[in-house]
Amino acid sequence: MVKHEDVRAEAKKLLESGKVKYIIAYELGADGWKANPVFIKKPEDVDKIIWGPTCFHNLIRFVVDEKRRKVQQKNPDTRPVGVMVKGCDSRAIVILLQEKFIERKDVHIIGVSCEKTGVIDERKLANKLKGRKAKNVEFGPDENFVVTTEEGTVDLPASEIMADRCLECIAHVPVITDVLFGEKTKRTVPHPFGSVEKIETLSSEDRWKFWSEQLEKCVRCYACRSVCPMCYCDECVADTITFAVSPDTTAEEKAQKIKWLDKSPVISENIFYHMVRAIHLAGRCIDCGECERACPVNIPLRMLNKKLEKEAKLLFGYDVGFDSEKPALISCFRDEDPEDFIR
Amino acid sequence: MKKRTGIFICHCGINIAGTVDVKSVAAEMAKEPGVAHSVDYVYMCSDPGQNMIEQAIKDKKLDSVVVACCSPNLHETTFRNAAKRAGINSFKCEIANIREQCSWVHKDKGKATHKAAHLTKSAVKKVQKNESLEPISVPVTRKALVIGGGISGIQSALDLAGAGYKVILVERSPSIGGHMSQLSETFPTLDCSQCILTPKMVEVSRHPNIKLMTYSEVQEVTGYVGNFKVKILKKPTYVDPAKCNLCDECTKVCPIVVPNEFDVGLTGRRAIYIPFPQAIPASYTLDDKNCPDPFTTIACGKCADVCKVKAINYDMKPEIIEEEVGAIIVATGFDLYDKENMAEYGYGKYADVLDGLQFERLCSASGPTQGKILRPSDHKEPKEVVFIQCSGSRDPELHCAYCSKICCMYTAKHAMLYKHHVHDGQAYIFYIDVRSGGKGYEEFVQRAVEEDGVIYLRGKVSKIFEENGKIKVWGVDTLSGKPIEIDADMVVLAQAMRPSNGAQELAKKLKLGTDKDGFLAEAHPKLRPVESVTAGMFLAGAAQAPKDIPEAVAQASGAASKAIGILSQERLYHSPTVAKVLKNLCTGCGMCVAVCPYDAIAFKDGKVEVNEVLCEGCGTCSATCLRAAIQVKNLTQNQVQEMILACLGG
Amino acid sequence: MTEEFEPKIVAFLCKWCSSAGSDLAGVSRMEYPANVIPIQVMCSGSVSPLYIFEAFNRGADGVLVSGCHPGDCHYIKGNMYARRKLLLVKKLLEHVGLEPQRFRMSWVSAAEGQKYTQVIKELVKELKPLGPQTKLRRERNG
Repeated sequence: MVKHEDVRAEAKKLLESGKVKYIIAYELGADGWKANPVFIKKPEDVDKIIWGPTCFHNLIRFVVDEKRRKVQQKNPDTRPVGVMVKGCDSRAIVILLQEKFIERKDVHIIGVSCEKTGVIDERKLANKLKGRKAKNVEFGPDENFVVTTEEGTVDLPASEIMADRCLECIAHVPVITDVLFGEKTKRTVPHPFGSVEKIETLSSEDRWKFWSEQLEKCVRCYACRSVCPMCYCDECVADTITFAVSPDTTAEEKAQKIKWLDKSPVISENIFYHMVRAIHLAGRCIDCGECERACPVNIPLRMLNKKLEKEAKLLFGYDVGFDSEKPALISCFRDEDPEDFIR
Repeated sequence: MKKRTGIFICHCGINIAGTVDVKSVAAEMAKEPGVAHSVDYVYMCSDPGQNMIEQAIKDKKLDSVVVACCSPNLHETTFRNAAKRAGINSFKCEIANIREQCSWVHKDKGKATHKAAHLTKSAVKKVQKNESLEPISVPVTRKALVIGGGISGIQSALDLAGAGYKVILVERSPSIGGHMSQLSETFPTLDCSQCILTPKMVEVSRHPNIKLMTYSEVQEVTGYVGNFKVKILKKPTYVDPAKCNLCDECTKVCPIVVPNEFDVGLTGRRAIYIPFPQAIPASYTLDDKNCPDPFTTIACGKCADVCKVKAINYDMKPEIIEEEVGAIIVATGFDLYDKENMAEYGYGKYADVLDGLQFERLCSASGPTQGKILRPSDHKEPKEVVFIQCSGSRDPELHCAYCSKICCMYTAKHAMLYKHHVHDGQAYIFYIDVRSGGKGYEEFVQRAVEEDGVIYLRGKVSKIFEENGKIKVWGVDTLSGKPIEIDADMVVLAQAMRPSNGAQELAKKLKLGTDKDGFLAEAHPKLRPVESVTAGMFLAGAAQAPKDIPEAVAQASGAASKAIGILSQERLYHSPTVAKVLKNLCTGCGMCVAVCPYDAIAFKDGKVEVNEVLCEGCGTCSATCLRAAIQVKNLTQNQVQEMILACLGG
Repeated sequence: MTEEFEPKIVAFLCKWCSSAGSDLAGVSRMEYPANVIPIQVMCSGSVSPLYIFEAFNRGADGVLVSGCHPGDCHYIKGNMYARRKLLLVKKLLEHVGLEPQRFRMSWVSAAEGQKYTQVIKELVKELKPLGPQTKLRRERNG
């Protein structure tokens, strides 16, 4: 089990030695039981740091923001930032390294193993508690969580309240770290693409019905994009333009702006947007599930991205986010890539 | 500024106008935004047609034109030149193909007219967003590199040198000459191979324009057509050719014996050796893979002791020579299909099962038996010899799917030569088909059958094994349906030809494509057979596909003339429709760098930049970039989008 | 009168193989349906997934991408990248419920005029029974 004290001690050491600029970590939120992201800048604040089953957030998003800030600064502080990462989050770092968005020396990776479980799904928990309020959720000793409510403590199996993505997780231990807390437990995932497979069994028409009903709800708030550590483009192709305007942009270049899709949240444009996002995340989405968690209208966005992760694996033998040295999914091919669809 | 596009719809006689209502297309186009002029004419490509375009550009102050006519492959240049003459940039002219892609393939006039209008509109949308571009010009290094010193490389080098260009001829073995120098006689004339080859070899060594680099290998090629930079590794021979007087004393004292490559392992050679007496350069090589032998650590020094002219220098080191050239000819030749792969015919297992090249050495006057055909096992004259064609060729299941092309002819030659040496012997040839296309080839095969009594058996050999000093050959004559058993004294396999060892790695270094069998890929199978897919690199000889000597020589001359086509230019011009990076959007992820087939994109300051000379404008980078931060000029994503809209509108 | 449904198809043809193959079909006067409007691109590798989404969004009933056979790409390997990228696009389109027939990829060489006509005929035949593509099409143009 990961001990809070250990993580805090490491953080303290890092800050005191000045080895890192600051540490992106989790603290206990105002509601008293869920984690929030926090930037720890002073050694005396390290006791705020927590680790538990409500540490949903993929903190790599803040690494992206840090890099962006750094680019703007004249004389940036080049020390790394410390960041707490779960297994899934660590794969996001691999992608950022693979795409040269950051360098390895930009981050000091404090890995935490999810060991036998992962993070919980708030909605699942709420359903389970039937109106009772959770006061505290902790990792249980086995594949379970210990949930405290006003009425006392219950032991709930992971299969019932854990986030779907954790049930399908293929990297519960960080794949790249500077320091790792927790055990490198072994875990078998019998159905890494189980949830997608359920949708795949539907007929074409039923899939359309499913997706059109889901995507009709989209309000185009772009929360999915904002939380995604892979959506680090300054300007999104799916927005309205592809040509960023700067002082050296010529009139001709301005004339080349493309409006691929309409801003209005109608189904055709919503689906266009989400398809573009899915295809641009193919081979890059590491299934942290943040898009889906952030979605205010509960669109099962994981099911778009996971589909392409599955195809990448099945069709091309491509594992996403494990090796920063290999080329991106669509920047390489194998001679034996399937082509039975080409006639 | 408001666009002023002119539209010119060609009737092409009735070729277009018979199916497409050209007048209505012209009228419809006149209504399109930015269209200032829209007409039709019977033959746009005719002089009056071209004049009409030029006049309209001037009179109507057109800034771009679309000609709706035949395929751009035919008259794009014609009309772009016309546009240029009238004072607008040639890229401000686009073609809408309403003949091959419309009037010739549709019958319904209404539908064809509708489609023609869409095609024309699509071209209008594109041309209105085309940039004015000028060809990219680069100077030319007027020097060529020829890789491979076989007959093809020799021919290319001589042709280039003869035309007055400097040539570097690189050969990895100690002598030029290639496989042709190993052959005894050549079909269909039976002239002595070395007798016709060695004069060319000598010419290479004496030609003032040729820099010969034997025992050398190309390590790295960078740059682009007209301006390649080449790194060549010159391996140490440990013998100074300027001093060596070919006395041969060194080989007499050398204690290390290894298989002789020139005799395909039928004899041995010393660690210090000359490949064959007529080798060019005429000098010895101390083979450092075998000397000192693996059991001792230092050379014995005997060769240096005995060398009176002090030509041997153990301290010679490998050197990297850098050269700049404008064109490269790749003539890396072939090797025979590996022995290990033909275990079913006992190749490599029985001493008297030989391959075609070994048999050439047996026939050759300079060979191990001085031209007497004797069995390697017991040096007896074989009385029954079985030749097996297509050994490894034409066998898609187990071996090579392709036909090695030369084996039918050389097997006929082998059988004939055998009969000329062993008058009372019998030659059998197992074949699938006899392919004897070529001048004098069919007559040659007939001569083998009629004059020399060679027995041709149509069928495959099923089993070969040794019994009582004979090689039993079991097969079936598929013509009579009868099983055949021959107690042979010798078996000769016409092994498939395959690309030479190392050709694949070299192809990678040169960024040349290879086909499924590993032969170098030509730019077009019919119309550009000597050009590679990379501009400025040409192919000659068996490196591209199995070939006989005349074909290899013809291609070598073809490649030389193509190279001269480049070297004779002061400057080269390159299409300017290349990729362009939008620095504001680029994050330097390098996905485009990885996909570029020409290594034309490189990292710079955390972003990427395009080498416009290397870029061929394929646009794969653009479709890979997640940010549309790299675009091909005059076929930007914006233009394609406009075209999509034009195709689907109305 | 009920007029037979005529699908609108956009075809992205690579300049060197498939566009040349379609030219050959023309030279050989091979007839095929007029439903396809070709857009010539330099290489199938240059076809962005967005082109396909855009075509469907703008009302295409079918989209074809055609390039050189493996090993024949004028740009050495652009078609290989296209194969991988566009298979992902196809899987995605089908995942959201678009009929698989609507997006097609083919290899047509410069010598395969016959094959080009065959591809077009098949595509049109397969699309006719499906009727207009309305799933991904935007309601109003703007």
